[in-house]
Amino acid sequence: MPRLTINGKLFEVTPGTTVLEAARQNGIDIPTACFRKGLQAVSSCMLCVVKDGTRDRLIPSCAAAVVKDMVIETDTDEVHDARRSALELLLSEHVGDCEGPCQRVCPAHMDIPLMLRTIAAGRLTEAIATIKREIALPAILGRICPAPCEKACRRAAYDSAVSICLLKRCAADADLARPENYNAESAAETGRKVAIIGAGPAGLAAAWHLRCAGISCTVFEAGATAGGALRTGPGTDRLPHSVIDAEIALIQSLGARFELNTRVGHDITLDAVRESHDAVIVAVGHIESKDASPFGLPAAKHGIQAAPHTFATPVEGVFAAGSAVAPTRMAVKALADGKRAAASVRQFLAGERVIGMTVPLVSVIGRLGEGEIDEFMKDADRSARVEPASADNAFKHHEAIREARRCLHCDCRKVDSCVLLRLARLYGAERQHYRGLERALFERVTDHPLVIYEPGKCIRCGLCIRITKAATETLGLTFIGRGFAVRVDAPLGATLRDALRDTAGECVEACPTGALAFRDEGWAQ
Amino acid sequence: MVSNMTNMATRTDNVSDELDLADVDQIIERHGRTREAVIGILRAIQEHYRYLPAEALRRIAETTSISPADISGVATFYSQFRHRPAGRHTVKVCIGTACHVKGAEGVFDAFKKHLGIAPDDDTDADRLFTVEKVACLGCCMLAPAVQIDEVTYGPVPSAKVGAVIRDFLQSLEPSAVGRPQGVSVSPVGEVRMCLCSSCVASGAADVYREFEHQIGRRGIGARLKAVGCTGISYQTPLVEVAANGLSARYGKLQKDDVRKVLDRHFRPAGLARSLSASAYSLLDRLARSEPADTITRYNVDVRDGPDGVYFGAQMRIATEHSGELDPLNIDEYISKDGFDALRRVASHQSADDLIEVIVDSGLRGRGGAGFPTGRKWATVRRADADTKYIICNGDEGDPGAFMDRMILESFPFRVIEGMAIAAILAGAAKGYFYVRSEYPLAIRRLRRALEICCERGIIGQSVMGSAKSVELEVVEGAGAFVCGEETALIAAVEGRRGMPRFRPPYPSEEGLNGKPTLVNNVETLALVPWILRHGAGSFASIGTSLSTGTKTFALAGKIVRGGLIEVPMGITLAEIVEEVGGGIQDGHALKAVQVGGPSGGCVPASLADTPVDYEALVSTGAIMGSGGLVVLDETDCMVDVARYFLDFTQAESCGKCTFCRVGTRRMMETLERLCKGAGRDGDIETLERLGARIKAGSLCGLGRTAPNPVLSTIRHFRQEYQAHIEKRCPAGKCRDLITYSITDDCIGCTRCAQRCPAEAIEPRPYQKHEIDAEKCTRCDTCRQVCPADAVTVR
Repeated sequence: MPRLTINGKLFEVTPGTTVLEAARQNGIDIPTACFRKGLQAVSSCMLCVVKDGTRDRLIPSCAAAVVKDMVIETDTDEVHDARRSALELLLSEHVGDCEGPCQRVCPAHMDIPLMLRTIAAGRLTEAIATIKREIALPAILGRICPAPCEKACRRAAYDSAVSICLLKRCAADADLARPENYNAESAAETGRKVAIIGAGPAGLAAAWHLRCAGISCTVFEAGATAGGALRTGPGTDRLPHSVIDAEIALIQSLGARFELNTRVGHDITLDAVRESHDAVIVAVGHIESKDASPFGLPAAKHGIQAAPHTFATPVEGVFAAGSAVAPTRMAVKALADGKRAAASVRQFLAGERVIGMTVPLVSVIGRLGEGEIDEFMKDADRSARVEPASADNAFKHHEAIREARRCLHCDCRKVDSCVLLRLARLYGAERQHYRGLERALFERVTDHPLVIYEPGKCIRCGLCIRITKAATETLGLTFIGRGFAVRVDAPLGATLRDALRDTAGECVEACPTGALAFRDEGWAQ
Repeated sequence: MVSNMTNMATRTDNVSDELDLADVDQIIERHGRTREAVIGILRAIQEHYRYLPAEALRRIAETTSISPADISGVATFYSQFRHRPAGRHTVKVCIGTACHVKGAEGVFDAFKKHLGIAPDDDTDADRLFTVEKVACLGCCMLAPAVQIDEVTYGPVPSAKVGAVIRDFLQSLEPSAVGRPQGVSVSPVGEVRMCLCSSCVASGAADVYREFEHQIGRRGIGARLKAVGCTGISYQTPLVEVAANGLSARYGKLQKDDVRKVLDRHFRPAGLARSLSASAYSLLDRLARSEPADTITRYNVDVRDGPDGVYFGAQMRIATEHSGELDPLNIDEYISKDGFDALRRVASHQSADDLIEVIVDSGLRGRGGAGFPTGRKWATVRRADADTKYIICNGDEGDPGAFMDRMILESFPFRVIEGMAIAAILAGAAKGYFYVRSEYPLAIRRLRRALEICCERGIIGQSVMGSAKSVELEVVEGAGAFVCGEETALIAAVEGRRGMPRFRPPYPSEEGLNGKPTLVNNVETLALVPWILRHGAGSFASIGTSLSTGTKTFALAGKIVRGGLIEVPMGITLAEIVEEVGGGIQDGHALKAVQVGGPSGGCVPASLADTPVDYEALVSTGAIMGSGGLVVLDETDCMVDVARYFLDFTQAESCGKCTFCRVGTRRMMETLERLCKGAGRDGDIETLERLGARIKAGSLCGLGRTAPNPVLSTIRHFRQEYQAHIEKRCPAGKCRDLITYSITDDCIGCTRCAQRCPAEAIEPRPYQKHEIDAEKCTRCDTCRQVCPADAVTVR
């Protein structure tokens, strides 16, 4: 029985065991992407490198058999650095968007593609859950939002953008029209209390998200009604007050208390508010710098001084969000600020380090080159943008379904299971550390009934090739070419449909990225 | 499977109509139907159609047990295989190191321009010529060298591209160079000439035929003999005449000189001693090699006496008897103690003792890494297996290296002897010579030499009458540098994509077909017979303590006398450059010596005292490598040299592991930006950091050494990298960072204007010319053709 040392601990393994197996048998995690139990190890991704202390070199643990008295280190800086570099190299050639461009530019970072697919599947009630995870007031925004998402929508390169904003409104209106409205599942009550000063979009959003986190909150509003700039700001003439009232009522029904006609700094001091609450969010809307003084807070150029990511003011436990910090004409931005400030407050109350809402690493294709839109269009519904037939600019449900189906599914089908993304985040890889001169063109292979293949996301691990070979597929897959340009494809110019007769499911499941993914369920071809 | 394949074939029936698949069927019939045959089948199909038609590949899948995945995978892995139709003739522009530093990129562009080939195509509209780059033709002293079909031209500066095409088209009648027939007249003397690829490229074949013709016509008692190369490439065609006790060498001999040479040495009876004085004076001049108007083909005109310094510092072991042996004359080889060592090995001595001799000799692998040869043999011998193999690695792919080619072409019997010895001692009964297909003559001679050895019972079922059996055959490569890596090489021999795997297990434990396999380089094996004949001590006494014996190098670049050299280990690079190579060309100064090709590095002039020693070279950032020595002068840009090598390695990466596949590409792109004047602060540090990661993390030797050319040049020439970030190329080499201009020395001859392919110069007779920098493509033609040296580069 060969013995080896891993991270200073002695282990005994059966002869022929690989270093990877030895580590995993003993609860030591080593990341892999190209390895799969039961298939021959090929050591191509090199994410499983460990340090062989005896020979003073990095080795791929998946292929290295344990030899007597081996000394292995799996988690030193050197090892992590090598893994990070490998991940950064893979990211540098990754032609794929983890998130749709619409979601990425949305200030509220709403999962728009998922919303669209849910609507397209006719499940409007489910769509509202996706929306409300990020946007507290969708019926309102659905009427006034300038929709930066639609400016980023790739579909515009073919005909016109998907009507995202109206679809969101449609889902929100449908929810409001139901007797039982959607109510976010709140976390257990924490017993902590937060004061929100101002019932404009930022304050309302903060209240919604704090309640979702099980934190009680009181909204102090100087005016007689909640809504702030939503009732007075740009574009609000299109916004019926009944809609504002309805969505505020939902926040109330989630447990937020409102103290109307209460001007902090006049009717009650900030100190008194702080005294009776565990934290404070100042969301009073646009004020001149000099007006920050009533709150006893330091001012910056445009308003109250607050840290850009955490919205923390220099006063402990006091956060500031929305136009109070920097004036914005976009309600969605104020809403997003309120949500982020709420996240910081939650961290603050939990005694965690206050870092605000972090933006996790995602892969980004960027601007499309000539002809690339055709790849996105390959499998798409080519109908023209649907305009609502009714005079009030609202989609009927069947119109909404038709319009939502125009989405090109730019976001990755496997963003939740992608090994590359998970490890890149885990090891703190930087997407643009090793930038290439030019990126490869986006490709989408759509001829297979079950599978979508996007070669730009392939890391050439060859798992699918090994699977098709082991399963003796008639054609199977193979490497075509070599070097940087090597790609995985069907042999002899055959189609993917012919190549993957029996093993499509297994290949998708094994594929460590979104290169091979299942088509969406019920997504008609 | 068959039915499915048939369906697929039906889809393309309209195309298959044009292709007679019976030819494919015949090829398959000849090569067999199993996976090992796939490379041979593909090569034969390509020879037949000049590319691999898709229908032909489908036919293989239909009629053999080779899987479609293997067929497509292999057909697209090796660079030799084409997937679109080729022109009738192929122009191969060598972009080996020596050719690169002499402007090969410009030559390639010039051919494409001259033939009117679109940038994204490689073949002209009439499908007459296909223009390709080739890693190395192994004719480094003729740089820049070009091969059109079987004809090699060199040097071919970009300005002469048109003339070369014209010359080729004029000489299209099939010219069989072949091996000369023996001369039956009882000889009174010998005329020896080398007909290796390099020499033939210099016109040796024409001269040889003229000798043949003149000797026959005059009935002279002279034996014409094709001999192994002396390696004196800078003087080819080189002829040695031995007659009447007199021996003389003639360098750069031309066809017209043949008659005079014969007249001097073999005066036919009856011919009055009436040769004119002028004829003698010509001969004297030839012998002394003074510049003569008749010899203008090459610009290197230096000539030493028969025992000039060129040989002085050299020591011949792997290339023993160079210039004397007819490569395929086995009796001659035997008469020089050939096969003595094999006889001893085959007949009596104990294998362990003989392996001990190799161990004691200190012999280390000459392929690059320098692993102790004896230890490797012992490992294979000890391995417990019923079948063992031996492979001779002749996949010499380094641009700028041609030692293995010269050795195989000139001394095939010696390599076979070394191989047979190694096979017997390691316990392998079956062996393969894996030789890159760019070496057709080496393959031809090796195959013929093997036939002769089999006929003589030297190898085969009974080696030299003993009970030992050694079967050897030649396997041709198909164009993949990475196959020099032993696990990739084995994959290639097995008929797979040449992708390396992690070692251990080493091939000596698990190699070909999973059996213990001894892999040795050509030169390593060529040294073995000498060591066994002379003893371990004789070999170990040469060189340094850890690097014993001799090493061959392909000496090329900006050197006066280049060629194949063999020197004792321990000799310094400076001694090689000065004493063996005769110093730097054209009075320039030594800047660096590139050692070890794409795996090696640049040793700066300040470290020229570094001895040829595995460890000493590593300490400079280079490696011994397989033996390319490219000498660089101050007009060579080190960033460009680094970019050149990274461009090579990233193109040759098999694409398996992330570090090599993506990492070398990113390094190359960074260097490309630097050379284009788009460098950024931090680029040098990025190169260093990424280079270190690739070295540490790559799967095989190719990746683990790929950053060396960059890291060593950053180490020794960092300021040159910094200059490129500041958009300057101090050596005046990087096209995007330089401008051409005409000085007041211009005599107004209009030659530059006439030859400028970009019309960047307006012809103005008797006036000073000017170059339009906007239009100038920096092809260098104007500078090459200017009779007044009035074109400068800044």
